[in-house]
Amino acid sequence: MKRKHYEKSFFRVGVILMAFVFAGFFLSSCAKPEKEAELAKKVEELTKKVDELSKKNAELMEQIAALKKKVGEPIILGVPTSLGFLEGKEGLACVNMAVEEINAGGGVDVAGVKRPFKVVAIDSRGAEPGVPVADVIRAHKKLILEDKANFIVFGSFRSECAIACMDTVSQYKIPMILGTAMSPAMEKKVKTEYDKYKYTFRVCLNAVYLIKYLGGTMAHLNKQFGFNKVFIMNQDVAWARKTGDLMIKLVFDKMGWEVVGRQAYPTGASDFSSGLMKAKAQKAQVILPIFDMPQSGILVKQWKSMKVPALVAGFISPLAGPAAWNSFDQKIDGALNCIFEIGNVPCPKVPKSVEFYNKYQEKYGKPIEAGHSPAPAYEMVYILKEAIERAGSIDADKVVAELEKTDRMGAMGRIRFNDGHQVIYGEDPNEMAMGCMIQWLAPGERVIVYPESVAEGKIQLPEGLKSAK
Amino acid sequence: MLLGTLIYGFINSCILALLALGFNLTFGISGVANFAYGAIYIFSGFLTWIILNSIGLPYLLSVVISILCAAIIGLLVYYIVILRVKGLALSEVIATFGLGLAIMELFRYFDFVGFKYTLPVFFDGSVGFGEVYVDYQRLFIALIAVGLTLFLYLFTRHSKTGLAFRAIAQDERTALTFGIDSDRIGALSMAFGAALAAIAAIVILPLGTIAVEGGYEVLINALAVCIVGGLGSTVGILVASVLIGYAQTFTANYLGPHWMMLVSLIAIAVVLTIKPSGLFSRQKELEERI
Repeated sequence: MKRKHYEKSFFRVGVILMAFVFAGFFLSSCAKPEKEAELAKKVEELTKKVDELSKKNAELMEQIAALKKKVGEPIILGVPTSLGFLEGKEGLACVNMAVEEINAGGGVDVAGVKRPFKVVAIDSRGAEPGVPVADVIRAHKKLILEDKANFIVFGSFRSECAIACMDTVSQYKIPMILGTAMSPAMEKKVKTEYDKYKYTFRVCLNAVYLIKYLGGTMAHLNKQFGFNKVFIMNQDVAWARKTGDLMIKLVFDKMGWEVVGRQAYPTGASDFSSGLMKAKAQKAQVILPIFDMPQSGILVKQWKSMKVPALVAGFISPLAGPAAWNSFDQKIDGALNCIFEIGNVPCPKVPKSVEFYNKYQEKYGKPIEAGHSPAPAYEMVYILKEAIERAGSIDADKVVAELEKTDRMGAMGRIRFNDGHQVIYGEDPNEMAMGCMIQWLAPGERVIVYPESVAEGKIQLPEGLKSAK
Repeated sequence: MLLGTLIYGFINSCILALLALGFNLTFGISGVANFAYGAIYIFSGFLTWIILNSIGLPYLLSVVISILCAAIIGLLVYYIVILRVKGLALSEVIATFGLGLAIMELFRYFDFVGFKYTLPVFFDGSVGFGEVYVDYQRLFIALIAVGLTLFLYLFTRHSKTGLAFRAIAQDERTALTFGIDSDRIGALSMAFGAALAAIAAIVILPLGTIAVEGGYEVLINALAVCIVGGLGSTVGILVASVLIGYAQTFTANYLGPHWMMLVSLIAIAVVLTIKPSGLFSRQKELEERI
């Protein structure tokens, strides 16, 4: 009985469950059309949204592409110089300083596209003893062929190398702006074979202008103290030899000075006693040194210790910067030294030179020590930027044509090129670029004494020297 | 002019002798090649400058530390480099020369470039000999050179260690039978030589600036003096220094300074052709005869 009762109950429960299942199926089949409609609506909305987003994405992509187009590929500046020499080291620092300033301002505007400068430097070691010209040419070729340099700035330390590299840059049509090499042979090449060598420019002082400053100083010494006997001591490298030759030919012979002797020293020489003894024996009143090697500072130390009664007036690279006073045991009092370009020394009468000098000191935490190259290195980047912007292209021939039209007021005064692609130097900073002569005076001050247009004081004879008048 | 040439010729001779003493002790007397000699000379100059200017220690203390450091470098070079190629003369030369190049180029790499690297003179001022003035520092160099030459002469002849230096160069195996530890003596000789290079640097460099390139010149001059004088001979060093020193000064004064460097190179070439053992090297002469 009990079993029957259970069977009946199971049957009932089964029927009820079946009824629920069928009811569920029935209800779900009735609700389906409504849910499908909702889903379709949702899909439609989402599709619309996706369409809108992809449209926006496309717009943004276009904007990015336009921006990318505006900030174009970097313009590569190759800097092959002798980084082991003070002029090379500080020159590169000045190139970097100018590049950072230009890039911070958006870069170079090349026909509406802002392109940053990028510096690729290489230590070509061209200033070292023996002047390895072949190595320097290889350094130029590496920059042009491997690093894809568009321009060479501050290239080739020594004239021997710069002149050889003129052929290299001409072969690849890469404009090159020089900042240390000084031989006038470079301009001669540009003038005689313009189409071939037009790619080379020089912003720093050359030997001819150096002679003008040194000649002017000698005339001043003659007028002020009656000096007319000189002993020349020069480094045995192209620019210094040429400067010595031209000083004799263009200055001393014409002014009636007696050149009582001349001695050339190889790069790296560190004992100058032979020349100083000769100068003393020949009763020279002025010693004209022409050196750009670090060891040449020893000459002044020896001049003091050997008590040679002659005024040292010329160019000794280590004597240019403010550190020289302590480096040479405060024994350079009275020495006259040429600063090849103002800006390397602050010249109060040329405010831009002071601005540049201070900017360098602020950035690098130390003052400029080189008397040759830093200011031209800084200016040449701006000169190039302006020429590219005027040309609206980085095409070599177009940029060269615009470089020739340069007219800019900079740290060195007014900057313009002559027909030999050399910046014109003179005595009026409003008309030309300028160099100057400084005299070291106790307690370690550099006083500009020549040219008169920017002079801060008169030349003073050091202790033990007497005027010939 | 002649008096000046004679005085400055003498000082130049003293400078050459001072430069060659350390090299002669190591290479000449003990037969251990140390072609990193020029680099150790430059290293000592820069180290003194760093201790003096960057750390700010007194000059004399800086000098002592530099000399000690140079000696330690000499020891390390012996145990790390030379010991592994000992007995292979050419390998010793190449290994130490390469090490020297690396040391010098490292200084260049770390920007030790420029004229600011100068050391102060020990004695300031100058004294006149007739019309020729000579600074006290040069006279000090002459004094140190003479003193050290004398010391080296006595040391290698009358001290146990000095005699051991000579013994290992003459015959290492025989020296070993006498209980001389050739490795210890070789290392000591390197340390002594490096310390002498440091002393030379510290007294000579105040005359000018410390420049990396100076290392090459020092090595060539030291080599020239040792070859001309005869390897291992202290008297030979003295005579060769005077010969080359005066030849250089007369050449600079009467021909031109560019010919100065040629004097050392020509002297090496002539002596190696005519008398390869040098002017005063009896031991080497005997070896060559055998």
